[in-house]
Amino acid sequence: MSNYLDALSVLLLISAFVLMGNKRTNAYIKSFKMQSILIAILTGVMGINSLLKDGHVDMLVVCAVVIGIKVIYIPYLLNKTCKNVAYRVEKDFYFNIPILILGCCFIVVFTYFSLSTTTGINSGNINMQVINSVSLILIGLFFMISRKKAIGLIIGFLVIENGIFVTALFATQGMPFIVDMGILMDILVAVIIMGMMAFRIDEKFVSTDGNKIKDLRG
Amino acid sequence: MLLIIHNIGEHNSLFLIAILLYLIAAVTALILIKHHKLCNIASNIICMAAALVGAAASLIKIFTGTTQTNSFILQSTIPQLSMNIRIDTLSAFFVLCLSVLVFSVSIYSIGYISHYYGKRNVGLFNFLYVSFILSMFLLMIAGNSVFFYIAWEAMSIISYFLVIFESEREENLRAGKLYIIMTHLGTAFLLIGFMMMYSYTQSFDIFGSSAAIPAAAKNLMFVFFLIGFGTKAGVMPLHIWLPQAHPAAPSNVSALMSGIMIKTAIYGMIRFMFCYLQIQDVWWGVVILCVGIVSTVLGVAYALMEHNIKKILAFSSVENIGIILIGLGVSFIAFAQNNEFLGGLALVAALLHTFNHTLFKGGLFLSAGSIQYATHTKELDKLGGLIKKMPITALMVLCFSLAISAVVPFNGFVSEWLVYQSLFLNIGYGGGGLNILSILSIAALGLAGALAAACFVKLFGISFLGLPRSDNAQKAKEVPATMNIGMGMLAGLCLASGLFPGFFIDIADKVVRSLTGLSITANLQGGFLNATAPLVVSGNSIAPLEILIVILALIAGALLIIRLIGGKYIERKYGTWDCGFEALNSRMQYTATGFSKPLRIVFSILYRPGRKVEIEEGISSYFPTSIKYKVWTEPIFEKYFYNPVLNMVSKISLKIINTVQTGSIHAYLIYIFIAVLTLMLYNRLA
Repeated sequence: MSNYLDALSVLLLISAFVLMGNKRTNAYIKSFKMQSILIAILTGVMGINSLLKDGHVDMLVVCAVVIGIKVIYIPYLLNKTCKNVAYRVEKDFYFNIPILILGCCFIVVFTYFSLSTTTGINSGNINMQVINSVSLILIGLFFMISRKKAIGLIIGFLVIENGIFVTALFATQGMPFIVDMGILMDILVAVIIMGMMAFRIDEKFVSTDGNKIKDLRG
Repeated sequence: MLLIIHNIGEHNSLFLIAILLYLIAAVTALILIKHHKLCNIASNIICMAAALVGAAASLIKIFTGTTQTNSFILQSTIPQLSMNIRIDTLSAFFVLCLSVLVFSVSIYSIGYISHYYGKRNVGLFNFLYVSFILSMFLLMIAGNSVFFYIAWEAMSIISYFLVIFESEREENLRAGKLYIIMTHLGTAFLLIGFMMMYSYTQSFDIFGSSAAIPAAAKNLMFVFFLIGFGTKAGVMPLHIWLPQAHPAAPSNVSALMSGIMIKTAIYGMIRFMFCYLQIQDVWWGVVILCVGIVSTVLGVAYALMEHNIKKILAFSSVENIGIILIGLGVSFIAFAQNNEFLGGLALVAALLHTFNHTLFKGGLFLSAGSIQYATHTKELDKLGGLIKKMPITALMVLCFSLAISAVVPFNGFVSEWLVYQSLFLNIGYGGGGLNILSILSIAALGLAGALAAACFVKLFGISFLGLPRSDNAQKAKEVPATMNIGMGMLAGLCLASGLFPGFFIDIADKVVRSLTGLSITANLQGGFLNATAPLVVSGNSIAPLEILIVILALIAGALLIIRLIGGKYIERKYGTWDCGFEALNSRMQYTATGFSKPLRIVFSILYRPGRKVEIEEGISSYFPTSIKYKVWTEPIFEKYFYNPVLNMVSKISLKIINTVQTGSIHAYLIYIFIAVLTLMLYNRLA
């Protein structure tokens, strides 16, 4: 099973790179959807494994909820927000894409460097899965920094959350059921609120450029 | 959180009962928040009961337990966080001071708070008032420094809320802000001291041993504790909050603040420097002595220049803290030189002055409250002639003023006399430098004493004698009886401990004996009625009662002689000569400013007075329409130390705000990103 997980963790990392390479907001949502599908597969694999081994169905339930919320409902909400917000062609990032991709590479190397000596996870071996998923968190944060529009910020936030979810899965081989569910509900509520906020901000400020919030400062 | 109560040692649960009563009083205040009068009376009466229990408990403790400490531990499951109550005679002594003051202030409050009925949230006020007292109570019986720190912070914050209770006035808010900043500055130093304590001994136990702490660290801790406690005590360079905060608070609170809150710092100094760290070097004492002298002289000097009654009293508190510190300093010097008798004597003097100052300064602030209650002003220049309107209050103020000016037969004399004695004794023992220091401090103390007398002559004379200077003073009425009873108790105690100092010296002596194993009273001359003098200084023994009798006899004799020599003279009752004007009016009197003018000139190097005369000319220069005369003195510390520092800090802060807090989400995200990366790097490298 470890092979599947390794492959999935690398695919997740690649999905983050793909996201970083996107130029348009619609593409962000598609990349996020892809990432969520990968996570759903990951939980599915782990769920089947635990069902066969111990007879637990928890992880499969989580898998179903992930598909429901992250693969279907949140992308739907985001698409709706995108449609509500008047479309404007604006350059959405501060640096060009190649530099951002290089930055992502640096993040992965840095994560490897800083986590390679951490013991206690996976009995002393270097755990590539954890390194990949922590890189996912950092890339999510980096994505938030690199994008101006509110939708980019929301996606970055969701990627961070994905990363944390995956890190927890890899590090502990499945968190308690109630914790997983709690996190998923939180994220759902957060997205709904952020979607509404983005819409309102667009109404008030004629743009969802997060940097314009600076004007509010007294 | 699991709480377990261990009870170790002898069973004296009266202290716990007192705590419980204070808690009940606090809750009562909140329950009856809608019924102002009932709430005020109920919570104050419960407070009085608690104070009685507290006083009884501490007296029992002082007179029975010499070295044992009562101990109750409320253990929580959080590590190092336990409510560890330990009571030795030193704690008991300060609890006694607190209880005596709280008892009279609570009686006073029943009447005083009545002017809040229907106007302010009396329930909230009483809740804060009681929890303020409770926090001081807990601070004095804390057995570990975490608990001490929590109580200390609670005391600071609650007193801040009380200072800004009349928050509609801009100046009160400003005073509160200054107070909370200064007190937290001091607390920060205390916190560092406590942390050092833990890092060397692996324990927060105040009663533990400090043997594991190296000498250099002890010196550093001494300095931190001195700054930390000094800020709360209001010693001279750190005093600036005191003359602002004390006048801003309601009078019963300022009585507590000045009477006992600043004494908690004295308690802290004795507890942490004297008992915990043990005195290491002579210079500790010298530093405390010097700080004490500066506070004493400058405190009273600034008090003289103020026109606001409560500001005068606040500065006078600085002076008296200085006197206490002089006693403490001499005691530190003496113990460092293994001169135990002198050390004990000076410590007794310091403790006794602490107790005495609690009595008369508490009383004076209550009197200021009465004056404010009756006239709605704190300005001396709007008062006058109150002795006819408020004779009982006037009598009290006179008593307190005499006591604070160290006039026989009141208690201030006794403790100051002991401080003098210890300074005189110190001349013989120390080296050359110390001798000169002692002599200088005697001179400084003498100067301060004279200035204090002038200051209180001014306070009493301007406000109570002469003619009323405003309508409010004209319409003043005697305050409610409860207020006078509260003050009367304190005045009575002032007189009693002045006339029978033996008993009170004995209490302080028992405390010192349990700390050092040495009794002073056994080595003192004189008996029950005498304030005593050490054997070594012969011919200096003093007895206030005897002096009083002698003075009375002398006065009677002098009158008799005048009568005999002068023969019969004719008495004529007639109005004072009014220079040919129609009648005397209040503007012909000395003003508060005028009264202190000679001293302003003599000490102009200190005050740096400035003045400005504005004349609006009328038809001729001989008939101006109005003359305005303005005089001011320069606050040295504010001008040359605090203001530059403040300006610098605010400039730097503004710069940082403009560059760091840009308001851009992305900038904040970058901060988070960098912080995360740094932490990960630290994880790798550490």
